[in-house]
Amino acid sequence: MRVLTHCLSFGKPRSLIGLWLGLTGLLAAIALSSLLYGAGDIGPARAWQALQHMGTASGGEARFVLTELRMPRLWIGLVVGAALGIAGALLQAVTRNPLAEPGLLGVSAGAAFAVTLAILWGADTATLRVSVAQLGALGGCLCVLAAARLQGIGDDPIRLILAGAILSGLLHSLSSLILLYDQYTADEIRFWVVGSLAGRQLDDLVPLFPSLGIAALLTVMLARPLAALALGEHVAIGLGHHPRLVRLLVIVVVALLVGGATAAAGPIAFVGLVVPFAARALAGPDIRRTLWLCLPLGPIVVVSADIVSRLVVPPSELPLGVLTALIGAPVLIGVVRGRRLPTL
Amino acid sequence: MSDASFTTPSAGHAMTSPVDASNAVRQDKYYLALPLGQRPPLRVIVDKRNLLANLLLLGLLLMLAGVSLNTGSAASLSLPATLRALFGEGDPLDIFVIRDLRLPRVVAGIATGGAFALAGCLMQTVARNRLATPGIVGLDNGATAFAVASVVGAGISLAPPAMALTGAAVAAALTFGLTGRIGVRGYRFLVAGIGVGAVFGALTQLMLTRVSIDAANAAYPWTVGSLNARPDHAVLSLSLALPPALLAGIWLTRSLTVLRLSDAVATGLGVAASRCRMIALGIAVVLTGLAVAVAGPVGMVALIGPEFARQLSARNTVPVVGATLAGAVVMVAADLLGRVLLAPIEIPVGIVTALIGSPLLLWILLNPNARTAP
Repeated sequence: MRVLTHCLSFGKPRSLIGLWLGLTGLLAAIALSSLLYGAGDIGPARAWQALQHMGTASGGEARFVLTELRMPRLWIGLVVGAALGIAGALLQAVTRNPLAEPGLLGVSAGAAFAVTLAILWGADTATLRVSVAQLGALGGCLCVLAAARLQGIGDDPIRLILAGAILSGLLHSLSSLILLYDQYTADEIRFWVVGSLAGRQLDDLVPLFPSLGIAALLTVMLARPLAALALGEHVAIGLGHHPRLVRLLVIVVVALLVGGATAAAGPIAFVGLVVPFAARALAGPDIRRTLWLCLPLGPIVVVSADIVSRLVVPPSELPLGVLTALIGAPVLIGVVRGRRLPTL
Repeated sequence: MSDASFTTPSAGHAMTSPVDASNAVRQDKYYLALPLGQRPPLRVIVDKRNLLANLLLLGLLLMLAGVSLNTGSAASLSLPATLRALFGEGDPLDIFVIRDLRLPRVVAGIATGGAFALAGCLMQTVARNRLATPGIVGLDNGATAFAVASVVGAGISLAPPAMALTGAAVAAALTFGLTGRIGVRGYRFLVAGIGVGAVFGALTQLMLTRVSIDAANAAYPWTVGSLNARPDHAVLSLSLALPPALLAGIWLTRSLTVLRLSDAVATGLGVAASRCRMIALGIAVVLTGLAVAVAGPVGMVALIGPEFARQLSARNTVPVVGATLAGAVVMVAADLLGRVLLAPIEIPVGIVTALIGSPLLLWILLNPNARTAP
């Protein structure tokens, strides 16, 4: 892992703008191929033709597939990836734990459980689902923070992860119990609960924007205090920041981001682990730099995983969560195997 | 850890002179001399408290099994009628319901519960961590993934035991191989196990998306853990493996008790630490694989069973028999609860045990005063 980090960081941190532009270019290429390739029988050539004639009215089936099926997926993938990547980086910074990840710590599971409950009690509009998921995520976050403040847990990153995994499992079995109990909820939610970008419409994104806007604004404001907090509580206080307030706000931002992403795409694990890990390897430990890199890196991971999920088992598709787990679990094991856990 | 361990009678008295130890020890132990013609005769030490605990658990198990046989949606029988039907007397319909429908389920519950809990007890002792159950270390998911693979590949039967066994072994090898030595304290290998489990869980999902929707639906209750789909040959192979595994566990008890101390102490007392560990781990892998083949991943029994047994048994031994009995009790009780709570809907036993086990797990993990060593 150390060798990998070295290779990726090219000796010393590169200029942030160059890295950012390079990653954004990569993201553009991946986004384009996400439009071109799919599980159906519209191949890349036909999709490319349809893309060129987008302005005109012609196009037929290929055009329909492009605008109605692949385009919404792409957009949701971009938003969800960015939200999960940034949420992971923030959660890791605030718990000072390189393994803290919304999916592993039970934040996503909290959001999913809240949505399941809401549907059971009769809620069905998309707007309500987003806010409910964000409330659930906030609950999960508060559990994590409470556990991290407990004596002996906060200093031990591994135990916190373990507690999160168990909480996640508990919430998951509660959700399964509800699904079993109520057939209507089960039908409503079955395709959402596995975590996938398929079958979503662009309209599903609209209710996300207010909360994501607030989250983005808060993130920009919080970057400096978080960087100071990384130097220790006393230093942060000396520099004029309020650690408690910063932590609270970060938790709110994480809840907004993860809740929104979960409402749009279902619970997707491991993105919040892989993305900040790669960002730190590229840009060093400074949160002000890693946050910028998480912005293109998150969508890169999610959208490319989504492309692969369409291509592995045509004509059917894989749930996205399966692929992110296959990518993320080895990273988790690699970090844990390291002789010394990297501290944040 | 080591300070507390030296005060445990079995380890302490093995090192000091047996003469002055005997007065203190005799009071809570029975000594059974086995007439095997050896000189001095082979003596089996039976702890009074453990004996009481095991008898209590056995009684509880028989009672629960009786209730479980008596409860169901098909026909309501009185307890004497149930017992008569069990021995083949009375109304043919009752006999059919009891002996062909409910009895196999109870037997499968007892066998899987015992197997899971015994595996959990062995692995917790070997890893020196109460949280290190086969489920957390990824064995359950490994066995499930391989079993589902055989379903996808051949499409003949659900979960052939051999494949599940292979899966459990692969998962164990991965987790323990990736994190180095087995007896290492700490939590790292648990998180590595969660990672391995996540990979296998994803593979299971992947394979389930490839089969037809009917096959996937049929496999679903089994992937969360249920006693509904229990292949006969899987139950048979588990029932054949459990008694020898239990005997081997009893045989290992003394070594395992010593192994809870440091490796140096264990070696000094004449226990081949690494060999003992490998045997115990092997038994745990076999039992978990075979039990998963019957009931799917009901991993939490492996946590609850030993915990329950430890509360009842004497502190200074590894409750091998107690854990097995307690696991069977937990499994039968959870199955009964799942059938009764939301009837006519049946809650899979895996969900019931997860709902009971997860809070217990969290409590062990987060309570600063709880000991993590078994």
